Parts: sequence; structure tokens; C-alpha cells
Amino acid sequence: MTTAPGPAPLKFTGSKHLIQRLVLATLTGRAIRISQIRASSHTAPGLAPHEVSFLRLLDAITNGSVIEFSYTGTTVLYKPGLITGSAAGYGSAGGVVRHELPADCTRGASYFITPLCLLAPFSKAQVNVLFTGPGVITSATPTGDISVDTVRTAILPLYKSFGIENNLELRILRRSNAGPGGKGGGGEVQLVFGHQVRLPKTIHILSGGRIKRVRGVAYAIGVAGANNARMIEAARGVLNEFAPDTYIYSDVSSAPLIPAPERNNANAKRKIGLGFGLSLVAESNTGELYSADIASAPSGGEVPEDLGKRCAFQLLESVAQGGCASHVAAPTMLTLMAMGSEDVGRLALGKEVLGSEQVVQLARDLRDFGMSGWGMKDADEEGEAVVSIVGRGVGNVGRKIA
Amino acid sequence: MAVTLGKRKRRAEVKAEQPRKRERSWSRSESEDDDDETARALFQRAFEKKFQPLEVTKSTSRDEEDESEDGDEDDGLESDWSGLSEDEDAVEVVELSQPNVGAEDGFDSGKKAFMSSRPPTIDEIFSKATRKPTKGSTSEETGTEAANLKNDLALQRLLKESHLLDPSSFSKTASNPEGKGRLKALDMRLQDLGAKSSALQQEKMPVSHRKGITTKSANREATRRKEAMENGIILERQKFAAKSQKKRDRGIGGPGVGKFQGGTLRLSSRDLKSIEGSKGKGKGGKRGKR
Repeated sequence: MTTAPGPAPLKFTGSKHLIQRLVLATLTGRAIRISQIRASSHTAPGLAPHEVSFLRLLDAITNGSVIEFSYTGTTVLYKPGLITGSAAGYGSAGGVVRHELPADCTRGASYFITPLCLLAPFSKAQVNVLFTGPGVITSATPTGDISVDTVRTAILPLYKSFGIENNLELRILRRSNAGPGGKGGGGEVQLVFGHQVRLPKTIHILSGGRIKRVRGVAYAIGVAGANNARMIEAARGVLNEFAPDTYIYSDVSSAPLIPAPERNNANAKRKIGLGFGLSLVAESNTGELYSADIASAPSGGEVPEDLGKRCAFQLLESVAQGGCASHVAAPTMLTLMAMGSEDVGRLALGKEVLGSEQVVQLARDLRDFGMSGWGMKDADEEGEAVVSIVGRGVGNVGRKIA
Repeated sequence: MAVTLGKRKRRAEVKAEQPRKRERSWSRSESEDDDDETARALFQRAFEKKFQPLEVTKSTSRDEEDESEDGDEDDGLESDWSGLSEDEDAVEVVELSQPNVGAEDGFDSGKKAFMSSRPPTIDEIFSKATRKPTKGSTSEETGTEAANLKNDLALQRLLKESHLLDPSSFSKTASNPEGKGRLKALDMRLQDLGAKSSALQQEKMPVSHRKGITTKSANREATRRKEAMENGIILERQKFAAKSQKKRDRGIGGPGVGKFQGGTLRLSSRDLKSIEGSKGKGKGGKRGKR
């Protein structure tokens, strides 16, 4: 492009919080340069496959972005373009961007979907992305990603409080656990994010309320459905005492097949991503959501009862941390608040959540991108703090003229 | 439609009758027992003034007695005796009947909502599921409300379609139009609901017929207006079909103005006016000079 050069790109180092920084760069329109990505690693320096894949995804849903890698992949320069979403003519066929994840991807699909959801409200057209390929893991992963069920039941509803609620859909077309060694899976997920706004609403969420119901999804992929029943029973054994209104639904599906061509059979396929898992969501009477996630390890050898119990304990821990957003939801909420109109929004968070590495780093990164600092004070409840964030009114560039 | 409505009505009447019957039976038994009860109360109060209050264990047994009396008043003695003999070697049967079905229904609907691809809006679905049984509990209120609504609808229809009711057949008990009138009423309702055209209108017919129909209706309208004028009645204003102001699509290579027919370009006076512009009026004339 022949436009005048903008301000110098912001400089970051390290591979941590890469996605968060890329998302903020896209939202604020600032160019960034991230260097020393796994520079000290001898075996796998530079960007990991899932990070490259996310950059590709950014390229697909934006128009005019520039992405430059260094020779070793340890440095990335990213100049964001306009978020166009799945508008026709920008790499989408029939209004759907098809995004293939590589077979050596170790992260769950939620690793891509959660940041994509953050970008989607500020897109020009609706965002409709189909995640497919031999690397889509829909379950929770050992790398710490949540399952897509949790994204649908605990992350997407968060957008409602920001006035973004119409035409949101996350279709789980095929389920898959993590494949052997935690790599790859054969799932298929489609995200439809059809509600674009100029600015998200300012929120004031201060009371967490009390848990009134627990819902969940137990999934068994390519293994006996009895595993689901066992997980559910164990989880209910723990949770029933606290919340009698507990329902956990069971979903049994066959294992996905991915192409594995052999020498004498080019069409050969193999099963991948067998296992089971559990996603739990607790809802309070004020509508706050707390979630927990667990899936069987790719190496196997775990008993469903153990997993069910652990998931229930995880949910209880998440509830115990308090606040109006769990550690899974907090980054999404806080980022949307920072992108809101120039008004003070308030959110009560548990101090453990607020003090977590990710949230602290988010605060620092937001500051680097020129957002206002956060105000914090003790909340009425013990162990909680109220975070007040002044939005910068960045909002949706594509919708400025509307 | 009208027939079904009639059926529904009949059913509603039956429903309404049942509680009335029950009330009658209750009231009868109550009137009998009333005096007895007041007397007992008086005695009890008098007793309790002097001594300790009585334990009220009798009430339940008394209820049972009442029921037995209601059921078969004639052989009350017999039933009493047989009950005693049965009690001795009767096996206590406990029926464990839970309202399981309703709960599972809720589970199913909840599952559908929760497992769909949309983010679950648990609140709405479950409030709906819990609202249903509460409706059932106040069935009497809703029953009367439904009856009211039905009557309302019937009255509205009667008012709207009264002109279709033949005065000769109006004396009949049925308030719904019959025969041809019924079809016309149905058609009217459909049109009220947004049907584009009447279903009774014939679509295809010879031109002469259509012309006849239009002239007849035009004549009828004209006579109606004429009579109204003669009698000094003011009618609604006559509506004229608006002429379409659309620009004519002239196609490619056709003339920009006028009508090319038989090798000649015919210009109407209007066309001429449009070509010449406003001549000699105001500024037009001055501008014309060159």
C-alpha cells in the first residue's frame, strides 16, 4: 500500500500470550513485532504449528493484513488490516471461511475459536468459519484448552451482557479427542458469529449470586457410552450435595476418520481422537457462568469415575474463586470492556482470577496498546475485587459509517 | 372450521357441568353435617374451659366416615364391618408413583435446548418448562378464561358476518352461517388473516363473462350512488384506480418519444408539449432565446 507509514510497530518478545497480542493488535489496528519466539529452543525454534495456523486464520478474516516471518520464524511482524469476516470474495466460499488445522496441532479448537469470537463482533460482515482438517480437537486438551462445549455454553453467553446475542452459533459437526501423543484430531466445528456491533455495551456486573443449576455435557468418542454414564455418576455424586438441579447430558459418537494413505491403498483412513471427557457449567441466579473441563489423556489409563470427580472438583474450585467471571471467561470479558465506549465499566472478579498470570499480562498488554489502566478496589464480598475499566471507544472500524 | 368450533363448545359445556354437580353433592352433605359440627364445637369449648384441651385426632376418621357415607349411604354398617375383617390380614401396599414423566419431559426439552448449536439460554427454556405445571394447577381459572375467549371470538365473528346470515335461517338455533354463507364467511376470515385474493373468485372465465361481471358490478355501484344521492345520503368517496405513472420501457433502438407505428412516428399533444417545454410562460421564453 502507498499510505503513509503509521507509528512504529509495538515490540514484544516471547511466545507467551502471542494470541492475545495478535488479537489486541487487530482490534486496535496497531502493528506489532514479536521477536525471540522460542529462540532458545534447539529442537523447535520459532512459531509452533498452531500459532502459524492462527496467523493464517487472521489473514483469512481480515483484509489488508501484512504478516512477515523471519527466516527461522522467531520474529513476526504483523500489520493488521480491516476485519472483514466471511464477506464474499475474501477467501470465503459461499460465505464460509474454511480453515484447516494441521495434523501436528496440539491445541484444542477453542484455542482458535475464543480469540476469533473476540474479533468477530467488530467485523464488517458476519464471521462464519469452519474448522476442519486433521488437527481439530474439540475436547479439552492436556495443553489446557477448554472444550468447544464449554465455549458454547460458557463463553458465547458472555457476549449477551455486551449486547451481542443474535445469531451466535457454534456447531459441533464432529467430535474428536486429542490424537496419539496429544497431536491432531479429526473433529469439525463451525462458528457462526452473526451479530456485529459498533461498540459493545458498558457493563456493571458486581454480584455473583449463588449457584442455582449445573449443566454439563459428557462426551465419549469412539469408546463405549458407558464411560459417559460413569463420569456423570461420579460428577453428580459430588455436585448433587451442593446443587440438586444438576443435569449432565451424554453425547456418544463414533471416532472420526482421517485420511492416512498407504503404499498400496491411497484411500486408506484411520481412526483418531478416541476418548471421553466432561464439560460442566454452573449458572448462578444472576446469570454468571463458571465452567470446568476435563478429558481423558491421549495415553489413556484413566478411569471415568476419576475424571468425573476431578471435573466436579474443578467446577467447585472455579465457583469458590468467586467473582462474576471465572478464569476462563475473564480475558474475554476484560478485553470487551476495554474495547467498549468511553465509559467506566465495572466487573467483580475473584482475587485469584485477577491475580492470574494471564489477566495481569492482559492488563499490561492493553496498556502497551494505548488503553487506559484499570482501577481496582475491594468488593463487598471477601476475596473479590471490582475492576473498573474505561473503554477507549475503538470499536468497529468497519461500522464507523453506518 | 365452524363445525369444529361447535364441537369444542359442546365439550366446554360438559366440563363446566361437572364441577357444578360436585358442588351440589358437597353442599348437600355439608348442610347435613353443619348443625352437628357446631354442636360439637360448642361442647368442646365448654369442656376445654374446665379441663385440658382435647387432642384432635377424631377429625381424620370423621372425614373417612363422610366419604363412606357419600359413596353408599344405604349400607354404611356393612362396609364398616367388612373393613374391620379385612384390616386384620391385609398386606399394606405402598405405591411408589412419582411424577416421573413430567421430569423426563423437562429433561428432554432441556437437552434439546442445551445440546443445540446455539449458546444455551437456559433461563427461558426452563422457565417455560416450569411454567407449564403451574398452568395446570389453576385449571379452573384458565378454563373460564378460555371460555371467555371463545365467546369473544364467536361474538366478533357474528358481528362481522351477520350480513351473511339469511334472515329466514336466522331464527334457527345455530349462530354460525351455513351453506353458501359458511363458505363466504370462511373466505372473509381468510382474507382477514391476509389471503391475497378471495378463494371464491373464479380465476379463468370467458372474456364476455368477465366483462358482464364487471359491468354488472359497476352498474350496481352506480345505482347505489345514485339512490344515495337522491335520498340525501352521503356515501364514502369514490375511489378511482390510480393510473400507473411508470415510465414506459421503450426497448433498444426505439424512439425516445412518441410511438413508432407503420413507419411513422406519431407524437401526441402531450409529447409535443414535453418537447417544446413550457412556452411563453415565465423564464422558459427568455431562456429559449439564443
